[in-house]
Amino acid sequence: MNDPQLAEIAKLLFSPVTLVAYTAAMIAYLYSMSSTVGRAEDGDATAAVRPKGLRIATGLGLLAIVAHGAHLLTWSFAAGRYPLGNMFEFSNVAAFVAAIAAITVVQWRLQRPDVVGFVFLGVLLTLGLAVLVYTEPGPLMPILDSWWRAIHVSTIVFAFGVFTVGAVFTALYLLRETAERRVAEARAGNMSGSTVGAAFDTTTRDADEDELLEVVPGREEPDASNIDEDAAAYGIALRRALARPVSVAGRTVHVPVSLLIWTVVASVPFALVFQRASAMVGIPVVALAAVLIAWWFVPSLPAATTLDSLAYRTNAFGFPLWTFGVIAGAIWAEQSWGRFWGWDPKETSAFLTWVAYAGYLHARATRGVKGRGAAWIGLGSYGVLLFTYYVVNLLVTGLHSYAGL
Amino acid sequence: MSRRDSTAPPEANPDLRRPGDPRSPGPLGFVADSLRMAWRWLTRMRTALYLLGVLALLTVVATVVPQEPNVPTTVRQWRTGEAGPGQLWADLIDLIGGFDVYGSAVFLALLLLLFTSLTACLIPRYRAWWRLVRRSRPPRTSHLASHPEHATFQIDASPDQVLATARGMLADRRWRLREDDGREPAQVAAEKGHVLREGGSLVFHTSFYVLLIAIVAGQLIGFSGQVGIVEGHSWADTRVGYWTHDGGRLWDDEDHTGFVLTLDEFHVDWHRDPRFGGQPSLFLSDVTITEPDTGETYSDTVGGNDPLVVDGMKIHQLDWGYAPRVVVEADGEVVHDAFLTLTNTDSGFWRGAVKAPAADPDVGLEILFWPYAPPDETTGEPVLTGAPWAEAPLLFFREFRGDLQLEAVQNVRSLDTSRLEETGAGGLRPGGSFELADGVTVTFPELRRWVGFQVSSRPAVPYLLLGSVLVLIGLIPGLYAFRRRLWVAAERSGERTLVTVAGRAFQRPQAFEDEHRRLLEALRERLAGATAENTASDDAPLDDPTPEHDQAVPR
Repeated sequence: MNDPQLAEIAKLLFSPVTLVAYTAAMIAYLYSMSSTVGRAEDGDATAAVRPKGLRIATGLGLLAIVAHGAHLLTWSFAAGRYPLGNMFEFSNVAAFVAAIAAITVVQWRLQRPDVVGFVFLGVLLTLGLAVLVYTEPGPLMPILDSWWRAIHVSTIVFAFGVFTVGAVFTALYLLRETAERRVAEARAGNMSGSTVGAAFDTTTRDADEDELLEVVPGREEPDASNIDEDAAAYGIALRRALARPVSVAGRTVHVPVSLLIWTVVASVPFALVFQRASAMVGIPVVALAAVLIAWWFVPSLPAATTLDSLAYRTNAFGFPLWTFGVIAGAIWAEQSWGRFWGWDPKETSAFLTWVAYAGYLHARATRGVKGRGAAWIGLGSYGVLLFTYYVVNLLVTGLHSYAGL
Repeated sequence: MSRRDSTAPPEANPDLRRPGDPRSPGPLGFVADSLRMAWRWLTRMRTALYLLGVLALLTVVATVVPQEPNVPTTVRQWRTGEAGPGQLWADLIDLIGGFDVYGSAVFLALLLLLFTSLTACLIPRYRAWWRLVRRSRPPRTSHLASHPEHATFQIDASPDQVLATARGMLADRRWRLREDDGREPAQVAAEKGHVLREGGSLVFHTSFYVLLIAIVAGQLIGFSGQVGIVEGHSWADTRVGYWTHDGGRLWDDEDHTGFVLTLDEFHVDWHRDPRFGGQPSLFLSDVTITEPDTGETYSDTVGGNDPLVVDGMKIHQLDWGYAPRVVVEADGEVVHDAFLTLTNTDSGFWRGAVKAPAADPDVGLEILFWPYAPPDETTGEPVLTGAPWAEAPLLFFREFRGDLQLEAVQNVRSLDTSRLEETGAGGLRPGGSFELADGVTVTFPELRRWVGFQVSSRPAVPYLLLGSVLVLIGLIPGLYAFRRRLWVAAERSGERTLVTVAGRAFQRPQAFEDEHRRLLEALRERLAGATAENTASDDAPLDDPTPEHDQAVPR
């Protein structure tokens, strides 16, 4: 128990090995995605070309998962228990769950390798946040030593992983949907004053007419030769729909200004929760990088409706898990504290998360709200989940405090 | 988004004012119309969404603002301005009942509204679901090719044979079939998932009534009380025996059975590794129970996650502390001789108080206790550490004399020093004795520990569990079962028969795409099996094994 040498190996396996492997896998997935822009949208996955890039990406992704699994295993041996005892370990395992789900469910079962890169991005962000609440491997309090704890914590962490994947899809849906809508509006010629960007300087025509688009001088070509001009121009129009032209040193560059501003606005209050300087700088910078990556790959994303359906299915899978996790928590509380529910801050916020996701599921079935409205509620629900996890653990004192750092 | 994306039945989204609605006549017509519209408003999904939003907002308040039932001291500090954002905010929070959200009128009103909305929503849905179960009839289709899943193949069997085989196959797979009404062209129409999905959703929503009733009933008939017992001491389950006693309206003091609980020993230990110093590794109470009627005794243990059940009462070990025995003598008489139940503080020491009104004037001692205060190697002065293990205990006290004001309600572990005067102080090791200037002697003969037990009776818990199980049982088909329809048509095409299998899913179109493919395959196999003798060689390949449709992707 508490073997310091094993702990050193476990740490080494986490950083750099696991982190580097995930980064490499993410880059490979994003690359393979961008090289298959023209992928058939009819869902006929078997007919789609399987580029070599995807095979490399899958290999790297599996390697990263193996490294991560090895890290978790050595860590468990170093601590003398399974790794579900503090926030670092919760985030760590949640990220592991998300990574496995990315390859087994999203890539193999749903046949959607094109979004796996973004799930890996979410995994990396979760692991980055885990580093901010790092704790040495150590023993567990006796009160935590219960079967129901194991069930409660592992289900909640699993649900956390699933909701993370769902939030990635929801955010991508909102990005892609906004871009698609603006391009469609620009094409229809009814641009209102509020729609900034769009493909103002590209003379886009209806894609159904099967005509080539006028090539804009100086634009960057996507890195692929097997795609037709129409799709490429549409992709660029999508990317530009979210950006506005900025003049830098005499050249016009398209920058997603409002997207970046909102990212900073959203990430700075979150960063404050960690109460340390590295988080204050690190979180907004990483969030900006993630948003820039997502924006850059908007053209290669699946259609908005596909992303919407993926997001719904993921969140609908997470909801029963979360429900069960909360029920298991109540059973454990009855066993351990002698009351099943006491409106402790953590219980309250777990309930809040449940209400938020229930709201999301209801919104999906409500006329006029489904689509974008539901997606915003879904994203907000994930915000609530982060609040439940980080803010309540780090800033609010309650019975769950010992499960914190 | 197309209509078929809707995951809710039409009953969940009614119109407030329907086109054909007649206006009610008379002076009360306006009231009747308003009530009808209010009822329809409550029935709408959007309303449920708003109510859930308000519930979420209230819950945010309950998470961020300390709640009086949980942390009364913190709330007191917020109100006086010692902690929190200030008194003005505290007043504002109080105005909306933010310090006790789940006991506030706003929450009760919201709960009422939510359950009314739920009821208003469920009644038409129950009716519609019952109709669905009893007499739903899958509709025919006249535009086979317009359905999202659509495939054809040719076969030698006759059209009648094909339709009969399709009927048999779908019936085996528990599809609901439209009875053959002889309309031309002949067609098999089938439906599946409609009962299960809506039924699951109904079970899920109905389970909230079970939960609500179980919680309210639990509040009424349940009981929970706390008591602290020092090692070696016994305690009997009676109304007056508890430190705090919280029984529901319908809890009767006669319900206490009077069993006797003796705390034989309390085991506690910590990790001594400096990296995890102070983290506990063991909490366990050895107890002996004496049954009230038979006088029978038995020994057992109560642990952190291991409550003990005696006569239907659950005993949890919730808290523990050091219990030094403190003897106070004033003017040659013992005025206090008891074990104190000290509580831990964040600063690494434990605190408590001695109140001895038998002396004249009253003697009060404020006790600060350090479990591990080893003497310094050179000076011999005790070094105060925050370590919790009692290996070098030091009891420090401040003596006060005057009026303890015991007639007022006060905390057992602190003194109200407003009418007291500090007259001395001292430190003691176990077995030590200290004589103060005013002739008062304080002795610390031994150190034990005390354990805080919770004794509770919650007969509603099994029903609560039932409600929770119903939530899950309903949730899974409610989310995953999907409503879909299938049509099979067969027509003569030259020498052979052209079979069309068309289908439409109202939810989860991708899952249906796979199912459609499997059904097509199965039907072909059955037909091939039935006509194997004469058509072994020229069985046509699938016309279109992968239907061109995916999900609702607009082009």
